[in-house]
Amino acid sequence: MLGLNLRSHRARILSLFACAVVMTFTGITTHAQEVIRFGAPLPLTGALAPEALKQQQGYDLWAEQVNKAGGIKVGNKKMKVEIVYTDYQSNTPRAVQAAEKLITQDKVDFLFSPFGSGAAKAASTVSEKYGVPTIAATASSAQVYDQGYKFLFGTFTPNDTLTTPLVDIVRQKAPGVKRVAILARNDLFPLALAQEMEKSAKQKGLEIVFFEKYAINTMDHSTALSLIKAQSPHWIFATGYINDLVLIKKQMGDQKIEAPVVTMIAGPAYQEFIDALGKSAENISSASWWDKAARYKGQDIFGSTENYNKLFREKYKSDPDYTHASSSVSGALFQMAIEKAGTLDRNKVRDELARMNVPTFWGPVKFGPTGQITSLEPPVFQIQNGKAMVLHPASIKQAEFKLSVK
Amino acid sequence: MKKSSYFGTIALLVLFGCLPLFESSYALRIGIFACMYAIMAVSWTVIGGFTGYPSFATAAFFGFGAYCGGVLINKGWPLFAAVGAAGAVAFVSALLLGIALVRLRGHYFAIGSLAVAEVLREATNSATDLTGGGMGLNIPLAVTSSSSVMGEASFFFWAMLALLLLTFIVVHLIQQSKLGFGLVCIKQNESAADMIGVNATMYKSVAFAFSGVFVAMAGVLYAAWMHYIEPADVFDVLLAVKPIVMALLGGLGSPAGAVLGAFVFLGIEELVWRNFLQIHSGVLGLLVVVLLLFLPNGMMSIAKRLSFRRGQRG
Amino acid sequence: MLVIQVLLNGIVLGSLYACIAVGFSLVWGVLNVINLMHGSFIVLGSYLAWGAYNALGLAPWTALLIAAPAFFCLGYAIQRGILNRVIAAPVLVTLTLTFGLDLMLNNAMLIGFKADYRRLILDPSLGTVSVGSLVVPTDRIVATIFALLLTLVLYLVLRRSRIGRAIVAVRMDRDASRLMGVDVPSIYAITFGLGAAMAGCAGVLLAMIYPISPIAAGSFLGKAFVVCVLGGLGSVPGAVVGGLFLGVMESFGSLAFGPEHSVTLSFGLLILFLIVRPQGLLGKRGFE
Repeated sequence: MLGLNLRSHRARILSLFACAVVMTFTGITTHAQEVIRFGAPLPLTGALAPEALKQQQGYDLWAEQVNKAGGIKVGNKKMKVEIVYTDYQSNTPRAVQAAEKLITQDKVDFLFSPFGSGAAKAASTVSEKYGVPTIAATASSAQVYDQGYKFLFGTFTPNDTLTTPLVDIVRQKAPGVKRVAILARNDLFPLALAQEMEKSAKQKGLEIVFFEKYAINTMDHSTALSLIKAQSPHWIFATGYINDLVLIKKQMGDQKIEAPVVTMIAGPAYQEFIDALGKSAENISSASWWDKAARYKGQDIFGSTENYNKLFREKYKSDPDYTHASSSVSGALFQMAIEKAGTLDRNKVRDELARMNVPTFWGPVKFGPTGQITSLEPPVFQIQNGKAMVLHPASIKQAEFKLSVK
Repeated sequence: MKKSSYFGTIALLVLFGCLPLFESSYALRIGIFACMYAIMAVSWTVIGGFTGYPSFATAAFFGFGAYCGGVLINKGWPLFAAVGAAGAVAFVSALLLGIALVRLRGHYFAIGSLAVAEVLREATNSATDLTGGGMGLNIPLAVTSSSSVMGEASFFFWAMLALLLLTFIVVHLIQQSKLGFGLVCIKQNESAADMIGVNATMYKSVAFAFSGVFVAMAGVLYAAWMHYIEPADVFDVLLAVKPIVMALLGGLGSPAGAVLGAFVFLGIEELVWRNFLQIHSGVLGLLVVVLLLFLPNGMMSIAKRLSFRRGQRG
Repeated sequence: MLVIQVLLNGIVLGSLYACIAVGFSLVWGVLNVINLMHGSFIVLGSYLAWGAYNALGLAPWTALLIAAPAFFCLGYAIQRGILNRVIAAPVLVTLTLTFGLDLMLNNAMLIGFKADYRRLILDPSLGTVSVGSLVVPTDRIVATIFALLLTLVLYLVLRRSRIGRAIVAVRMDRDASRLMGVDVPSIYAITFGLGAAMAGCAGVLLAMIYPISPIAAGSFLGKAFVVCVLGGLGSVPGAVVGGLFLGVMESFGSLAFGPEHSVTLSFGLLILFLIVRPQGLLGKRGFE
């Protein structure tokens, strides 16, 4: 009896081991090449899930439009588009693994970067190794593009293109503002952005009275905010992701911290931010890479910003923000590059992306030598009466800058 | 460890070295992780299995090695020099830290060792100028001689496998040595061990140091292979817990078991990640619970029971 | 003035820390089990408060009345059903077991509630209390008061009731208690239930202040650890002293070194105490 048990025990263990080995080391790859496959590793679960959802919506909208029109024109036939999603659970090493899996196991033709600067940077090594053209829809820090890679492109302009116009506007409209307090999340994009802000502010003669970082997933900012309050700054500049910024503003309210100017990046562009804060979001300023108020005309499948907004509203019953738009345009850019190249050959598509110079609903698109876009004019905006109103550039200006945040 | 387990494991590992022949760099990625996990599990066995001190410092050693190596490589050091240097620094630091830490027992030791990883992570996060802080650290791409994907993957695979063999052999030698004997005495009854002349503090600190040196070296290889590391990833608390689960899975106190446990664990993890992504941490948790409730002595105990049976019948 | 504000922040924060840690400390001190699910229990309690407020209109302090018995039962069941099997096992086994259970619980919450941060927004908002230039948000004060009340209730239960005295007896000497007729496994289960109940209630109170998400579980657990080591295990006064000490140290540490270092500071303190005074400020040492 015992002998039988042990034998089956051992057999079970061995077969478990064998199964594990076999399933791990053999791929599961069969697909017909009638479809162009795009890999999209996203943090669908975990702390960054809200942002991932927006990216997914953007990609899906594009794929739907393309397939409705019959597909992407490759040479003299049309091929439909399929997006392959993989969840990397907001964990950067998993993002890298997901990228490799998509390329080698799921055999995608092209890749979208994971969310955010850190993961995009880490995963770009994989794309570069395999020579897969990759577009990063949500990576703005110049550090992401500083590895000399040829296959990485990004649709966000560098961080200083956000901070410089902000500083200019404030200097112009509120010359009394001299003292700046900066609170940054200790993470690639938020910290890099804060460092740019420090630079831009110092350049224009402003005084930085406070610059501190907070750890990722910090839940209590009260001490940092007490310290800021003690400095009586004119301008409070906070960076992080939507959850962090909502918390910071709420805790600012708890301590009755008021300032003439409060800027937060990146959160105020999202409707969720405005909803979460209600009245206390009034007059918070911010900048992003695109706003639905823009009126660009483009050669892409959407044709114009207005048309993009309309299609987005039809599908999702809400307005698009810059994350949605950036994801959609990434797909559209791949489409244009493939159609221009007339082939799915990765090197040729990569070259088309590199020399691209087209107007799109996202704005004029031209990539610089590092692969990062250089041609955008990021809008500066402010929340007024519960809506995000564009202050700059002049061509789409909707309102004047207002002081005083309570 | 029995001779058969020892040589058997070495033979299997050498055989494993043929993995690059399958021409799949994704398989090599898994292989590298398998070897890395095995290094951690075997190293942990020295302090956790032989000595009976539940160390959660594996994450601290790994992250320390990754950043130490990363910074050195950035300064132009060749890869193997960085590996050696990081290992040496890790050994000495762990020895010194150990002397303070091993005065604690049980839960306190566990927490203390875990806290070391937290402190190191935050220190790394703050030292932005040296380590890039929250923005992560870049390690240059041209670390190996080969530039093809397969070439680079094979290189790191063999490097990690070689490190695993080294770790395994050294740990086996420890087990056979006076140090190993002393550790077993300490585990059974520390006061008695003291009385028969075993310098418990020294022995435990050396064990602690050995539990860290190879993990740190694996960290350097990991950093060089990934090209970009962040504090939150390399000091992740899961890196402290998984080796323990692997060692328990294989059988506490058995280095061969640790290797087996690591490979099986990785296989299960990959399977679950591929097919049950949403619930993958839950499945891991379930595995741990089932393991501890129903198979507390790991898989090697089954092998032992089997050979005992054979012995009886034979 | 800044110093006083920082001190005030520290005391308020410290009381919350004490409430977070007291259940954890009790379980550790009495059962010699480190319950790694503690952080997840707290988050679950927060969700309960959120659900109760949004679906039933119950204020958090009322939700406490639901949370306490619910979590007690949960804790009792887990201890009786699972942990009791390994109660005599080495530290490693119980620690890893609760880690595994926590992974399952956390994953379940992630699937059920998603990782998005939810906020329990009281309407009308409680506002703030100001004295001169010192400001404290009212919700923190309310949470602090209830936290201290709960802690007091637990203390009285331990000191005055029969069950409480049995728990303390088991904590002091398990074998002697058994000889005196105490049903030790039952006491273990009750203690674990009490620990879970305290965690759940702490979660309900914290829901007023912090955003709710399964991701936060780890940081709560980390605080609980530090408070226990600083204050001493298994005793309510220990948790209170440890919590206040940590809260004040963190606040002043942030003032001195910058807010990003508060986690480093708390763990640094932990290591320091482990090496120099492992029994904590109040000197009640746990098992080895």
